Amino acid sequence: MSSEIDEYNGGSVLAMLGKNCVAIASDKRFGMKLMTLGTEFPKIFQATDKIYIAMAGLATDIQTLSELIRYKINMYKLREEREIEPTTLAYMVASTLYERRFSPYYVSPLIAGLDKNNKPYICNMDLIGCVTTTNDFVVGGAADDCLLGTCEALYEPDLEPEDLFETISQSLISAVDRNAASGWGAVVHVLTPERVITRTLKTRQD
Amino acid sequence: MSFYPYTDNGGSALAIAGEDYCLLASDTRQSGEDYKIHAGYVPKAFKLTDSCVYAGVGFSADGVALVKRVRQSIEWYRHAHEKTMSTPALAQMIATVLYSKRFFPYYVGTILGGLDENGRGVVYSFDPVGSFEAELHKAVGSGAELIQPFLDNQVNLKFLPEVERTPLPLDVALQIAKDAFTSAAERDTKTGDYLEIFIIDREGVNVERFDLKRD
Amino acid sequence: MECLFGLVGKDFAITVSDATSIQSIVVMKHTEDKSRNLNKHIIMLYAGEPGDTVNFAEYIQRNVRFYEIKNGIELSPQAAAKFTRRQVAESLRSRQPYSVNLLIAGYDVKTEASQLYWIDYLGSLIEIPFAAHGYGAYYVTSVLDRYYYPQISLDEAKVLIKKCIDELKTRFFINLSNFKIKVSNKDGIQEIVL
Repeated sequence: MSSEIDEYNGGSVLAMLGKNCVAIASDKRFGMKLMTLGTEFPKIFQATDKIYIAMAGLATDIQTLSELIRYKINMYKLREEREIEPTTLAYMVASTLYERRFSPYYVSPLIAGLDKNNKPYICNMDLIGCVTTTNDFVVGGAADDCLLGTCEALYEPDLEPEDLFETISQSLISAVDRNAASGWGAVVHVLTPERVITRTLKTRQD
Repeated sequence: MSFYPYTDNGGSALAIAGEDYCLLASDTRQSGEDYKIHAGYVPKAFKLTDSCVYAGVGFSADGVALVKRVRQSIEWYRHAHEKTMSTPALAQMIATVLYSKRFFPYYVGTILGGLDENGRGVVYSFDPVGSFEAELHKAVGSGAELIQPFLDNQVNLKFLPEVERTPLPLDVALQIAKDAFTSAAERDTKTGDYLEIFIIDREGVNVERFDLKRD
Repeated sequence: MECLFGLVGKDFAITVSDATSIQSIVVMKHTEDKSRNLNKHIIMLYAGEPGDTVNFAEYIQRNVRFYEIKNGIELSPQAAAKFTRRQVAESLRSRQPYSVNLLIAGYDVKTEASQLYWIDYLGSLIEIPFAAHGYGAYYVTSVLDRYYYPQISLDEAKVLIKKCIDELKTRFFINLSNFKIKVSNKDGIQEIVL
């Protein structure tokens, strides 16, 4: 994504795979270039009980796209009379993005969830909907390079929910503290078959 | 095609200051434009004195030219004052050398790792025109964005405020440096091949070499 | 060069807009009202491309009114803000986008709380305790960061607004001589003078 638009409003997102669980996290900053305006800007949206979607990028597109995706998820549920699966959602988001191939939504979406067999799934995609599914972690936003560095070094496979929470939190905090366009607190969701653990984190306030 | 006097040869370096040692690590890959890898073993870190090691990343030729010039100055200093230059003095001198080419800079990110006059570990980092700062840990180069937050996390446990601070043992610092580079080599195409770690303590300077990803 | 700002207090929202109308290098007017009331409780401030602003503001104003007539319910500040955001966002990717920055403030009769929404010309929407648009934001947000606190009373908010205006008058290089100040609370919207 063009870094001009990527860093206009700032913000970063991150998702990680654990043992029978997934975690998804974001910072809370909303800014205009170097000026911070909001410190409670949501970048993670609940898709179903077991799927969350996170988006970093241009704030207006995050809001427009999250509303559009919410509408499509609701329509899917009504038509199919069942909850959407993570992979289905991923390709639904991807095709929504590709529809705007030549005037794209400037977002980096991540999807984290558990499927009907409670098998964890994460993926990210670029602004025109090229999906990448991984079996460790995915990152996006203004601090993507920093996140890639911390995740690559701190991540290990098959973490239990509490350990996964600590790993994703440490990765996110370390990365956003080195990025002026991200920070001002963070939100972490850990999805397990039984429940969703949601916690907010303190970070530097500058 | 007009002549452009610089290229980016990539590569990363990091330094960690301990209580009574300093550690400076850098990869040895020399990259070119368009995903080219020129060579696998072209060191960018050099010993300057018995208590100081330099690493320069960015434009390799300038990095080498800078070392040559700095070593010359160290030699002159030794003849003039009959002593080896201290690390803080060297840092100031490098800043002056870099600034002397303010309008045709040496295109290098520089770090200096060593011991100060009291035998404590110090790290200095410079921008291409000589702004510099003493730090406890620092990463520079193409993988700096990946490595720096990891060092913040591991070296002084910045994000574990309740943990008691103890001096970082050398073996832990070494492991952090190796982990940092294996991670950086995984994601940064310009970092890889081999890792050279310089360990500077009262005994002098020792180098260790390790393998990194070669693709 | 225009300046809009506002804040939410205990049971009210207060908004300030500069009253200067500028064309090229000429100040045309010192009494321009850069706001529209969307209903009994919601104030909308606007700034941006001349022509776009009033046209867009009145489009929103009348559509909010239309909705209320059609459905027989008063729109909450949140609903009005989200509707407005969507109109801006849709316009952004049209052939001729509106270039308007907005603040929407109001008292929500249902939740008995005040809200303030910040919307830029791209269609980004945030709800914040205090907000500002334009170059004035650099001065005003600093003052508000220092002195604002949640549940501030109206009297103290007026003092704070005065501080912000004084700051603009001393440090901002454009002479913003006059400001329109509006308050929205459970009784409706009143224009006030400090």
